[in-house]
Amino acid sequence: MTAGIYTGRAKLKTLLLEEKAIGGEIVVADIVENYPGFPKGISGSDLTSAIEEQARSFGVEICEIGATRIELNGENRIVHTTDDRMITTKTIIIAAGTQNIKLNVPGEKLFTGRGVSYCAQCDGAFFKDKEIIVVGGGDTAIGDAIFLTRFARKVSVVHRRDKLRAEKILQERAFSIPSIEFIWDSVITGIEGKKTVEAVSLKNLKTDTVVTKRIDGVFIFIGNNPNTGFVKDIVTLDESGYIITDENMGTNQPGIFAAGDIRSKMVRQVATAVGDGAMAGSSVQRYIEKLETVKK
Amino acid sequence: MGLLQEKDKEYLKNEFSKLKNDVKLVLFTQEEDCTYCNDEKMLIDELGSLSDKIKVEHYDYATQNDKKEQYKIDKYPALIIEGVRDYGIRYYGIPAGYEFASVIEDIMDVSEGSSHLTEESKKKLQAINKPIRIQVFVTPSCPYCPKAVRTAHKIAIENDFVTADMVEATEFPEVSNKYGVQSVPKTVINDGVEFVGALPEDQFIDGVISALEPNR
Repeated sequence: MTAGIYTGRAKLKTLLLEEKAIGGEIVVADIVENYPGFPKGISGSDLTSAIEEQARSFGVEICEIGATRIELNGENRIVHTTDDRMITTKTIIIAAGTQNIKLNVPGEKLFTGRGVSYCAQCDGAFFKDKEIIVVGGGDTAIGDAIFLTRFARKVSVVHRRDKLRAEKILQERAFSIPSIEFIWDSVITGIEGKKTVEAVSLKNLKTDTVVTKRIDGVFIFIGNNPNTGFVKDIVTLDESGYIITDENMGTNQPGIFAAGDIRSKMVRQVATAVGDGAMAGSSVQRYIEKLETVKK
Repeated sequence: MGLLQEKDKEYLKNEFSKLKNDVKLVLFTQEEDCTYCNDEKMLIDELGSLSDKIKVEHYDYATQNDKKEQYKIDKYPALIIEGVRDYGIRYYGIPAGYEFASVIEDIMDVSEGSSHLTEESKKKLQAINKPIRIQVFVTPSCPYCPKAVRTAHKIAIENDFVTADMVEATEFPEVSNKYGVQSVPKTVINDGVEFVGALPEDQFIDGVISALEPNR
């Protein structure tokens, strides 16, 4: 959307395709505290709807469909969509983000929607006065563990290492909440139950011992994989599947740029995604100017 | 004081200026034992005030049984979005948060009398030859839910056998428990087919079609 603000202001006809939720992963953040300009923090949904409004005000058209593949045809780039349309354009910015990684343990798939969840904002309310597990140690896991204490009686954070990767300030907050407990050096090896989740098997990686823990729900935030399946034959990816770009967000294909979490980089935050977007939008503008000059 | 902000009203007035046919918002509420009935009534009345093409009808769930039967309503608050005919679009529980956008988009589609489904989807839906009830369970804070609700409602617009309900899961804990709803969006079709998540249109429709199989 940031890229759209830049291309919209450059008076370039801009179409944004969004398959899931406008704003991407951050819409489900209870609160964003490290994005500049909001000293008291802002909810992910308020932040994204403000950015959406800003993008639309500069003429960005938003279409709630997905892209299935990109085809190159001379200097045209053709986007195939989930509703079987073909959109021909000169440039594309790929900002399709990431999706959450599954644990890949027995029971996870079976109990998805029956106690296994990947969205605290969506499903937290179903675990009022229940006991739940949050798996992971990053910002999302710890932020959502704190959020889920609004509903759950007890939140156990299961992490495979003995310290968290989350921001220090989030860690301190989580450590100070009595209803959050930490189960270190441990992973879930199985999820069990009848109709809904009733227990998990926890393996301690240091001692190799496995215990069964009674639990009502499991929220999984162990990281993300890039949504690059639809472009893997078109642009160069790194060994983890993220898109490799130059410092101006250009990919190996002329006219195709990438921005945000989908890009191969170290820090994936709203602030860095917005920076990428601004850069990609500006690069698109330059690319199109150059195409037009060549034609003249 | 209303529930909608001035700038939202301006935006909606502009959207509603594109309305084609009249749209009727039929709301069932009840005085007692209803947390969100008053809020929803206020919200729907405000929507109605934004366009001459939007008519609001309000019924009492407790007493107006003839209307309840006409619309086959089994919970309250209930909202029906009706165009030139009743397409089978239902909202049980207040369409607040992210679901408010679903209501607006439904109003636009219903007014136009068009589902905007793909040609392939429309063709597949012609196979439906018996009543289908789609229930989509949501929470207002779920950003992925409107997609599932909208797909269900579009199917209802497209096919007269289909009734499609949005069900706000936290307002109807008994119904949610019956279907084991612990993640949203969760879609239940004719009590037989279930799936969690906002599936793409083609997969959603395959789910609906699979509910037609005789053993379901």
